Amino acid sequence: MYRYAKLRNRVTRTFGMGADEVAADPFIADLVAALSPDRVKSDGAHRALLSHDASVFDGGNSGPVVFPETTAEVAAVMAAAQTHGRNVVPRGAGTGLAGGAIPLGVPVVVAVTKMDEIHEIDTDNGIAWVGPGVVNLDLTKRLGPLGYHFAPDPSSQQVCTIGGNVANNSGGPHCLAYGVTNAHILAMEVVLPSGEVVMLGGLDAEPAGYDLRGAFVGSEGTLGITTKIAVRITKNRPEVRTLLLSFDSVTDAANTVSGVIAAGIVPAAMEVMDQRITVAVENYVNAGYPRDAAAVLLAEVDGLAAGVDLDAERIAEIGRENGATNVKLAGSDEERALLWKGRKTAFGAIAQLAPDYYLHDTVVPRSKLAEVLQQTYDIAERHDLVIMNVFHAGDGNLHPLILFDARDEGVLERVHAAGAEIITASLDAGGVLSGEHGIGVEKQKFMDRMFSSDDLDHQNRLRQAFDPGCRTNPGKVIPTGHSCADIQSLRSIPKEVWA
Amino acid sequence: MDLKLGADELNTCVQCGLCLPHCPTYRVTGDETMSPRGRIKLMREVQLEDAPVTDEVIDAFATCVQCRGCEPACPSGVPYGHLMEQTRETLADAGQMTPVWLRAAMKPLSQPKLLAAGTAALGVAKKVGLVPDRLGLGAADIPLRQEPLPTTGTDVYLFTGCVMDTMQRDVHRAGLDVLTAAGFGVTPTGAEAPCCGALQAHAGLTDETRGLAEKMMRSLEPERPIIVDSAGCGAAMKEYGHLLGTEEARVFSGRVFDIQEFLADHVDKLPTVEPLDLRVAVQDPCHLRHVQRVHEATRVVLRPFVRELVELDDDGLCCGAGGAYSILQPELAGQIRERKLGSIDRATPDVVASANPGCSLHLGAAGVDTIHPMELVAKAIRT
Repeated sequence: MYRYAKLRNRVTRTFGMGADEVAADPFIADLVAALSPDRVKSDGAHRALLSHDASVFDGGNSGPVVFPETTAEVAAVMAAAQTHGRNVVPRGAGTGLAGGAIPLGVPVVVAVTKMDEIHEIDTDNGIAWVGPGVVNLDLTKRLGPLGYHFAPDPSSQQVCTIGGNVANNSGGPHCLAYGVTNAHILAMEVVLPSGEVVMLGGLDAEPAGYDLRGAFVGSEGTLGITTKIAVRITKNRPEVRTLLLSFDSVTDAANTVSGVIAAGIVPAAMEVMDQRITVAVENYVNAGYPRDAAAVLLAEVDGLAAGVDLDAERIAEIGRENGATNVKLAGSDEERALLWKGRKTAFGAIAQLAPDYYLHDTVVPRSKLAEVLQQTYDIAERHDLVIMNVFHAGDGNLHPLILFDARDEGVLERVHAAGAEIITASLDAGGVLSGEHGIGVEKQKFMDRMFSSDDLDHQNRLRQAFDPGCRTNPGKVIPTGHSCADIQSLRSIPKEVWA
Repeated sequence: MDLKLGADELNTCVQCGLCLPHCPTYRVTGDETMSPRGRIKLMREVQLEDAPVTDEVIDAFATCVQCRGCEPACPSGVPYGHLMEQTRETLADAGQMTPVWLRAAMKPLSQPKLLAAGTAALGVAKKVGLVPDRLGLGAADIPLRQEPLPTTGTDVYLFTGCVMDTMQRDVHRAGLDVLTAAGFGVTPTGAEAPCCGALQAHAGLTDETRGLAEKMMRSLEPERPIIVDSAGCGAAMKEYGHLLGTEEARVFSGRVFDIQEFLADHVDKLPTVEPLDLRVAVQDPCHLRHVQRVHEATRVVLRPFVRELVELDDDGLCCGAGGAYSILQPELAGQIRERKLGSIDRATPDVVASANPGCSLHLGAAGVDTIHPMELVAKAIRT
C-alpha cells in the first residue's frame, strides 16, 4: 500500500546523501553531462518534495530531478534512463489528484516546468504551438488580446500545465460545450522511452493513419513525454451570461441540470456546489454566493446576444420549475469572474473545514445524478464521515469530497472504504471510473470493474508498443496482473539504486 | 528540529498547489523547493519528521522573497508569512541562518546618526566608483545632504523610518505636502521612531523587531493616525498586534495607514488641478497588495492627477526587490526583475509608480523610470 502524505502515517525520510554517493552514480553523471549541473538535483530536499502531487498518495523519495529546456535534452534524459535501466516520471505542476505524478521505483523525475514557451500563435488557422510547461491560464491570458482562449479550463488552470492536461485529458467547467482536452490537441512532438523523437497527429483536418495522438492524450505519462504541443485555440464568444440559482436541496439542483439538457440547451458550463462547500468558498471570495442555500447551480451560456438572453431566461424558468428559491444574473464581468474564482478554488478552500480531503472523480449518466448524489451522502453518514459535493453537473461528472483529519486514529480506513463504495455506486448506476483526474495509482484496483481481462491486456500491449521496457511512469493506470511493470516491486525500493 | 511553528498553522496547507504561479521564485525556476507548497512541506519534514536541516533546506527558506503573493492566492488562508518568519527566527537563533555580518549590517537601521553617516559614506563611495554592482544601486542617486522635514501640525504622524529617510527624503516631502494640501497638519516621526523592524523580521531577527516596535509605541502620542509612505514599513507596523500579541499593539496597528489608503478617503479635499501629461503604470509593492491589500487606493488617489493609468499584466507578481533580498539573492532577484521588466515593457508607460522604496531602487537600477505615487500627486499640485 502507498504511504499517505500527511503526518504520522509517514515514514521518516533521510535527507542526507553523501557527495561521494552522488558522484559515484554514473546515471547522474550522464544526466549532468546531458543538461547542466544546476538543472540536475539529487539532494534529499528535492527528492522528498517530489514524493507526492496534490493527491493523498506518496511514492517515497524520487530519484534525481531534472529540468530540461529543450526536446534534445528530454531525449538525452530518456536515452540515459534507458542505458542505465532506470524509470522515468514526467511532471508538470504536480496538481494531479490521482497520484499520476508520484515517483514509484525511484525514477528520474522530468520536470517540464522550464519548457514554458509559447512558440507560435496562428489565429488564421486557430492553432498555437506551446511547450508542455506552459501554464494553462497563461496561454488563455496571452490569447485574450487577440480575442481567443484555450477552451479546456480545469479548476487548477491557473497553475496546471498543458503537458499535464494532455497526459490526463483534463476536463473543466466549460468542457461541457467545448469538449475536453482531447478535442483541442492537434499534434504533439513526443520523446519516446527509447529517446526517439516522433510527431503524433498533424495540423491537417484528417491526418493519415491510426490516431496515435488520440492514444497519447490521456495516457498519463505512460507512453512518453510531450515536448511541443499544437493546441486548437477558440474564439471568444461575443456575449456571456452567468446565472446563479439557489435551491433548498441538492436534488432540485440536479433535476434542473437534467431539465436544461433535456430542453435542448447546451450551456457553456453548469456547475453545482452543495452548502458546505459554498460557505467555504464564499468565506474566501465574497462573490455573493448564498450561505443558506442547500445547493447552488452556476450556469453559463455564451454566443450572440439574442440567443444568450433567451437561453438564460429558459434556464431560469427550468430552475424555478424545479424549486429554485432565487435566480441571479451576474451583473458585470467582475462579478462573473469572482463567481468563477470561487468555483475554481473550491478544493483549496477545504482547509478552512478540515486539514485533509480526499477528492473523488466519477461520472454518472445525468439522469442518475440526483440518485447517486444522495447515495454519496448516505455512504458518508454510514462511515461517520463528512462529505461535500461540488461537480460538473452538466456532464454528470461528480466530485464527492471526503473531509478528514489524518491524525484521527483509523480514519483513513473509513475514508477508503467510503471512497470504494462511492465508486461502486457510480459504476452500478452505469457510470465510469474517472471523469478527468485519471486513474493514476488511485483507481487501478477498480479497473477490472470497468474492463475485462482481455481489455486490460490489450491496453497493456498498446502501452508496450510505445514503452517496451515499462520504464515510463511505471506502476500507473494498468492494474497488477495486466501491467508489464512489476507494481509490487516498484513499491519497495530496488536494491541497486540509492534512495 | 522544532521550528516552533504552530501545529494548526502548519496543518492548514492541503498541498493543492494553487500558490505556485503566484510565487516569484517558482515562476522563474519551476522548482518546487522554491515554492510556498514546497517550503511548507520542508517545514513539516523538519519539524514533524525530524528531517535534517541540510544546505538545500536552508537554501529553500533563504530564497523566499517573503512577498507573500501566495497568501491572497490561498483559498485556505495559510498564514505563510508568519510560518516563514518563525522558521527564519528559529533557524537564526540556532545559528543556521542570518550570519553575523548580516546581523551587523542591520544594526545601523535603528540608529539614525550611524545610518546617516553610513549612507553619506556610501554616497561618496558611489560617486568615486567604489560601490560594487551587486548592491544593485544602479543609477540611484544617494543624497549627501538633506534638508530636514518641517512639522505642519499635529493631526497625523508621517512615519519617516530608516533607509528611506536617508535615501528618499523627497518622497516624504511629497507625502507631507499632499497631506498638508488635503488639510492635515503633519508631524514627521524622525528619530523618535527610527525603524519599523521589517528587514530584521524578514531576516529572522524577531527580538530586534519586537524591541523596535515597543520603542515606537512608547515614543508616539496615542490616538493620532500614523501615515506610512513605504509599503513594507506599513505592512510591518500593521502586524505589531500579531508580533507582540498585546491589546496595546493591536490598537497601535489599527492606527497605521498606508498614505494612499488614508488619502483615498480624502481625495475630494485635494485641489483640482490639471493632470500631469503622463501614462503611468502602477506597480503594486507586494506588501501593499498582498499583505495590506489596499493597492486599489493607489489608483483612486492617482487617477485625478495623471492623464492615464495602466495596469501591468502579471497579477501583482513580485519585482524581486524584497527589502534586502536583491542584495542577498542577486541572481534570483535579477531573474524575477526580468519578468517584471517584460510586463512593464508591454504596458508602454512613460513612468512607473511604485509606493515602496525597495521596489523603486530595484527597478531603477535596471533603468526603469520609477516614482512614488505621492511625488506624482505633489508635482501635479505644485505646478
